Amino acid sequence: MVTNTHLNIEAVSKSFGPVTALTQIDLKIERGSFVCLLGPSGCGKTTLLRIIAGFEKPTKGRLLLDGADISDIPPHKRGFGMVFQSLALFPHMSVAQNIAYGLKLRKASAKEQRERVEELLTVIELPDIADRAVSALSGGQRQRVAIARALAIKPKLFLLDEPLSALDAKLRDNMQIELRRLQQKFGVTTVLVTHDQTEAMMLADELVVLDHGKVQQAATPTSVYRQPANSLVADFIGAANLVRTRVGENGRLVLFGNTVEMAVDHDPGTAVNVAVRAENISLRSAQADQEAAGRVVFARDLGAFKEWLVSFEDQEIRVRGSASDEIEFQVGDLVTLTVDPARISVFAAS
Amino acid sequence: MRVGLLPREGGGTYRFVILFLATIGILISSLPVIVVTIMSFSASEYSSFPPTEFSLRWYVEVLQLFTSEDPSSAQSVVDSTFTSLLVAFLVMVISTLVCIPLAYALARSNRNLREGMELLFTLPLVFPLVMLGIAFLLIAESLQFDLGIWRIAIPHIALVLPFVLRNCLSAMNGISVEIEEAAISLGASPLRAIWDVVIPLMKAGILAGLIFALIISFNEFTVTFFMYTIDLSTLPIWMYSRTVSSLDPATLALSVFIIVVDVFLVVLVDKLIAGRGNLF
Amino acid sequence: MSTELLPRKQALLFAAPAFIAILPFLAACFFILRFSLSSEQGTIEGLSIQAYRDLMTPFFGRSVWLTLKLAFVATLIVMVLAVPLAFVMTSLRSSFFRRLLTISILLPLILNLLVQAYGWILLLGPSGVLNSTLKAMGIIERPLFLLFNETGVLLGLVQTSLPLAVFPIVGAVRAISPEYLEAASSLGAGHWRTFRDVTVPLLRPGLVGAASIVFAFNASAFAIPLLLGGRRVQMMGLVIRDMISPLFNWSGAAAAGMILIALTIFVLAASSWLVRLTTTTKETR
Repeated sequence: MVTNTHLNIEAVSKSFGPVTALTQIDLKIERGSFVCLLGPSGCGKTTLLRIIAGFEKPTKGRLLLDGADISDIPPHKRGFGMVFQSLALFPHMSVAQNIAYGLKLRKASAKEQRERVEELLTVIELPDIADRAVSALSGGQRQRVAIARALAIKPKLFLLDEPLSALDAKLRDNMQIELRRLQQKFGVTTVLVTHDQTEAMMLADELVVLDHGKVQQAATPTSVYRQPANSLVADFIGAANLVRTRVGENGRLVLFGNTVEMAVDHDPGTAVNVAVRAENISLRSAQADQEAAGRVVFARDLGAFKEWLVSFEDQEIRVRGSASDEIEFQVGDLVTLTVDPARISVFAAS
Repeated sequence: MRVGLLPREGGGTYRFVILFLATIGILISSLPVIVVTIMSFSASEYSSFPPTEFSLRWYVEVLQLFTSEDPSSAQSVVDSTFTSLLVAFLVMVISTLVCIPLAYALARSNRNLREGMELLFTLPLVFPLVMLGIAFLLIAESLQFDLGIWRIAIPHIALVLPFVLRNCLSAMNGISVEIEEAAISLGASPLRAIWDVVIPLMKAGILAGLIFALIISFNEFTVTFFMYTIDLSTLPIWMYSRTVSSLDPATLALSVFIIVVDVFLVVLVDKLIAGRGNLF
Repeated sequence: MSTELLPRKQALLFAAPAFIAILPFLAACFFILRFSLSSEQGTIEGLSIQAYRDLMTPFFGRSVWLTLKLAFVATLIVMVLAVPLAFVMTSLRSSFFRRLLTISILLPLILNLLVQAYGWILLLGPSGVLNSTLKAMGIIERPLFLLFNETGVLLGLVQTSLPLAVFPIVGAVRAISPEYLEAASSLGAGHWRTFRDVTVPLLRPGLVGAASIVFAFNASAFAIPLLLGGRRVQMMGLVIRDMISPLFNWSGAAAAGMILIALTIFVLAASSWLVRLTTTTKETR
């Protein structure tokens, strides 16, 4: 993979009147990479995408495409393909007319347009729908046509704003694979906005977690998952527990009543938050008189895995076990909780 | 049992009262038009209903009115029909052309501005027509030059604006900003996006507005009643002048012709905005 | 999140043609106001409220009272008829009948008022359908005078303003989910009870809005009292016209017009205030 910067977002801030949407965003997007902007609703991810597309002007900062400042270029001259949340297919045009629209604006000949439409319809594996009305398409077909329309103009950047959120789970899964395949085939630098962390983990080369208008972490999906940069990221990615606890007198972490053999760079006695994923906690039966025991308050079997809620002190901890586990815990059982020190992240309590 | 505002079965007195009142409403609305239509086919000069004999003699007479050699009668009816049509055409085109960009601007502006503007452009609807007639008459008389056909067209434009704007606005309602942005992202300038995407999607509402303007202008009586001159008169005014003293069956025949045209146009509007809400 | 707002400059540019088109109307409004304050009857001169003072006569007072009374009664009748019509219109399945109903209700508003006046004269005039039928049946000896008096005007007002109420109410009725009615029914409410407790409260903003437009329309009626009142029913519209045509009292006409406009605006403002009152209580709940 070529590793040079394609789009450079420099110190971009955006406010709508008194409301600050984005603060000091710095991002370098590699050529040909697939970047996911991930975050809860209202985190500013869509605003960032719209700034890249040119539909919003940043209050401060600038955008560099291949080193050239594009901040003042209007959206219709940027040549970025975009797929919208509502897809925004033109209802008064046929599928072929939709796909060819960008080419028509570029004054491509009728022959060029026809060939490109044919090529794209083959790529999205819908070769026979060229003359259909948009209203006659299924949800998945519309999705593909919207993607084909954006790719038809050979975009410098491919931008997607939660394009899969309207699909049902199974179709969404198929489309994610499809999308990744298309992106790799065209080798186009892609930025996708989503609030679905599974989708982001599945698609992204680089995951950018946004919250409160700031970049919380930008790294590969694996490292975001394994080493969340802070408790906001840990909370948002995966089914993580944020456990309030403190550092023991010996500088060791105390978790679920046990001292964890792990060095932490916090002073003894400080309060900390520990992020630990549900699947990284294991349960053991405890005796009635045992200290540091929790009580199972909820149990469910989800087929692929089992899940329990354990009440420990004043917190509820989510624990996940594989379906092959022999042990059954019932509501009311007393249990002790143990964790693998390699799989936890410790943050100062805010 | 299915429940509804108008129960299909059962419902007792409730259903009876609703249907009874609705029937009265329909009768009040449509009886005069029906009677006029039937009477226009009467063979007799006297306005007794129902007619004892039917004929097309009044339609023949209307035709003669339009083709007569006698300049005093033919000239005025042909002239006023022509004026009516020309005014209606001007009013239709101008009011629609100014309302399309306004509707777009309002739909894409913030709410407060939009509500204020809608109120301003609804005013002609509730403003007393008599007052409008008088005011326009005073202004026209105080001008140093002759307004020509615009003497009637300008007031008519003010009258139809609320209807045309409402149609254009409701057409804009269903057009999302995203669809415009999609066109822009593909390389269309903002104006090109409006032309390629917004206008085609507004088409039905625009046509409905056009037709509304045409119908209202062509049938307008009150304001025109103040504005007409010996040289510039419309068909409704001509009809009024013929019937001040007594009913003229030929005028009824002419009315039926107008009814038919209006019905046709209303059906057209209704088809255009079918399912998407309101005539007002 | 952000919605793209049109830049202010561009929005003004887009609105400009429409402003030019409505400018004569605004000028006309201003002209009326200015003329009503003129100290001369025939020209705009000086500043005085003489024209308003001259209107303080029993004759004009009766006209105001008559106008308000007829407009109010007509509005009441219109509302009683419009709600059932809206129900029927929204429950019609066949698009042919729905269209037929739409036309027969809409036509009176847009059709040349003369045509309708002819219709009423043929129906209810001294030798019209009704009178000749009743006479033939021996029920009456002398014809009933239904036209060229207040009854005739009332009938005409109801007919022409009915569509102004029906169509907005149709819109409001469409917005009522049948689930509300089913919920009321499942809780044991009968048809009348559901109508009173569910339908009418849900329709209230639409009803008040429709009624206020109908009232304003009727209060300023001119052609109907001219054609169906036979000049005997002196509604304000006619009084104003008579001040001009035989009397050339322009400033008086303008002043009378201002009073009519003030009454209209007062009714519209009061009703929109009423609507806001009922909707805010809904929102804060």
